[in-house]
Amino acid sequence: VSLIHINILIAFTISLTGLLIYRSHLISALLCLEGITLSLFILAALTILNSHFTLASMIPIILLVFAAREAAIGLALLVIISNTYGTDYVQNFNLLQC
Amino acid sequence: MNLFTSSILLTLFMLTTPIMASSTNFYKSNKYQHYVKNMTLLAFIISLIPTTMFIHTNQETLISNWHWITIHTLKLSLSFKMDYFSLMFMPVALFITWSIMEFSIWYMHSDPNINQFFKYLLIFLITMLILTTANNLFQLFIGWEGVGIMSFLLIGWWFGRSDANTAALQAILYNRIGDIGFLLSMTWFLSNMNTWDLQQIFMLDQNSSNIPLMGLTLAAAGKSAQFGLHPWLPSAMEGPTPVSALLHSSTMVVAGIFLLIRFYPLMENNKPVQTMVLSLGALTTLFTAICALTQNDIKKIIAFSTSSQLGLMMVTIGLNQPHLAFLHICTHAFFKAMLFLCSGSIIHNLNNEQDIRKMGGLYKILPFTTTALITGCLALTGMPFLTGFYSKDLIIEAATSSYTNAWALLLTLIATSLTAIYSTRIISLTLLEQPRFPPLMSINETNPLLINPIKRLLIGSIFAGFILSNNMPPMTTPLMTMPLHLKLTALMMTILGFILAFEINTYSKNLKYPHPSNATNFSTLLGYFPTIMHRLPPHLVLTMSQKLATSMLDLTWTEAILPKTTAYIQLKASLLTSNQKGLIKLYFLSFLITMTLTLLSFNYLE
Repeated sequence: VSLIHINILIAFTISLTGLLIYRSHLISALLCLEGITLSLFILAALTILNSHFTLASMIPIILLVFAAREAAIGLALLVIISNTYGTDYVQNFNLLQC
Repeated sequence: MNLFTSSILLTLFMLTTPIMASSTNFYKSNKYQHYVKNMTLLAFIISLIPTTMFIHTNQETLISNWHWITIHTLKLSLSFKMDYFSLMFMPVALFITWSIMEFSIWYMHSDPNINQFFKYLLIFLITMLILTTANNLFQLFIGWEGVGIMSFLLIGWWFGRSDANTAALQAILYNRIGDIGFLLSMTWFLSNMNTWDLQQIFMLDQNSSNIPLMGLTLAAAGKSAQFGLHPWLPSAMEGPTPVSALLHSSTMVVAGIFLLIRFYPLMENNKPVQTMVLSLGALTTLFTAICALTQNDIKKIIAFSTSSQLGLMMVTIGLNQPHLAFLHICTHAFFKAMLFLCSGSIIHNLNNEQDIRKMGGLYKILPFTTTALITGCLALTGMPFLTGFYSKDLIIEAATSSYTNAWALLLTLIATSLTAIYSTRIISLTLLEQPRFPPLMSINETNPLLINPIKRLLIGSIFAGFILSNNMPPMTTPLMTMPLHLKLTALMMTILGFILAFEINTYSKNLKYPHPSNATNFSTLLGYFPTIMHRLPPHLVLTMSQKLATSMLDLTWTEAILPKTTAYIQLKASLLTSNQKGLIKLYFLSFLITMTLTLLSFNYLE
């Protein structure tokens, strides 16, 4: 409801559009993914601290764990792609390679 | 208070003096060899004192001087048991070692490391005496391992030769398998009787002594080359002839038999173990006698003969006659050592030729060696009133007139006739006929260092049986009456063997040498036992361990079960189920447009 919430929601939406619309490099999608997780984390932490909902304060921590996991998998995929293609241009993805 | 204990300790101490002198300059001089030989001679003479006292007054001694350690309730001390067996064995062993040392001064004359050779022989003798005079199993084990180590060092004396190294390693491995049995018995004695002392073991009456006795049988089978653990003995002929004469005919290989003889109070109450020992001994004696028939190396024939006689000793123990077995040990030592010394004389004179197919006609050239060889072979086969007769004939008599396994008896009798056959083979191929060696050999036997030992052992081979059996106090009731045909069994089998061998030799010696038949191959290749057992079990065990450790545990269980399987399944599944074309931007864009449209429409539909 408040302005801060709307601020963070806008940050989330911008990162989301950045994730879904990207030009040539896969790594920019990964970067936007990180942005999404970051904004979600801040939103969750602020709401919980604001409403003194102490019981749910482990949610941001768990979220962090999952974010780190995600980033690792994403980077692994990036490495594999860059091993096979040499770069991470998304034009390569419709070439028939396994 | 008499000279008993002092003489024993003096004998044992005197033998260690040359070893202590080996760190001085004297060790490098030429006189060291004669010094060692003289010390052995003196030790022999001094050891006759306690033996004579024992024969005269049946005085046995237990010398227990130094308390070493007490672990919980186990007290270990340095104790020597001088009883019937060790007192009679010591002079015999020292006499033979003295003769062999004198012989090896001649035989190893040109060897640069001859002093080290004598030191090794002396250390071997000391460990053998430790073994025979030990009162507790720990000291016996020290002697046991000691003779094993010295056997290794002496067999591999010419270590530049790969066959010698292989043979030495083989001896160690087979002895080790026997040592497992020894350690098993030691542990059993420790946990059930709380002691390693022989006195306490014999005092406590246990119900079933199967386990320790079988362990001791395994130890004896390993050390004394019974069937299954026998190939190291013929391979041990890679060592110099004095080594073969000392270790592998008289002293080391009887260590296993000696162990079983020591434990005769336990063995006489245990019928199953006696039967097992009997069968093992009978099998050994026949098998090795068969193998001896077609060997071509003179030392190997004599080695198989030793193995066969060891089987005979096992048979005697299996008949519950440990004292007869001990008598056979003492008498066998004489003529076997002499046979080895004669073969050493022949080998050295023919310029290191060991193949009997390349010897011949030595009857006129080496008369003394010929005499000794023929006498030794006759003593071996049990010619009446030579040495072998007093022990071997008694054994066969005891075997034929006791309530025992007929199959074992049959095997022993066949082996007796085979003994005569291969003895005839040695004699006729090395001594008779015409020479088959290259003509320019300087053959002489004039060196007194060669003649005197053989002379002494010759006198021993002829008279020792008589002297020993008249002076050894009888511990069992000897067998007095038996039917005539049983009494003459051993003699008839031997004569049968001789006649057969002479017949075949006479009618076939000028014929063409035939292609070896299957039976000949079986005999020459030692019954295929080394061929199979030295390749197949190690290969199987090593492959199995490789498959288990590397393939199963390492590669499969920790690597492939979860991680690689998961990755593989994912890959296959995704390849199977995906028919996408990888147009990521299009998919993301459509997702975005869908999301926007949904949010907008829900906002306006509120």
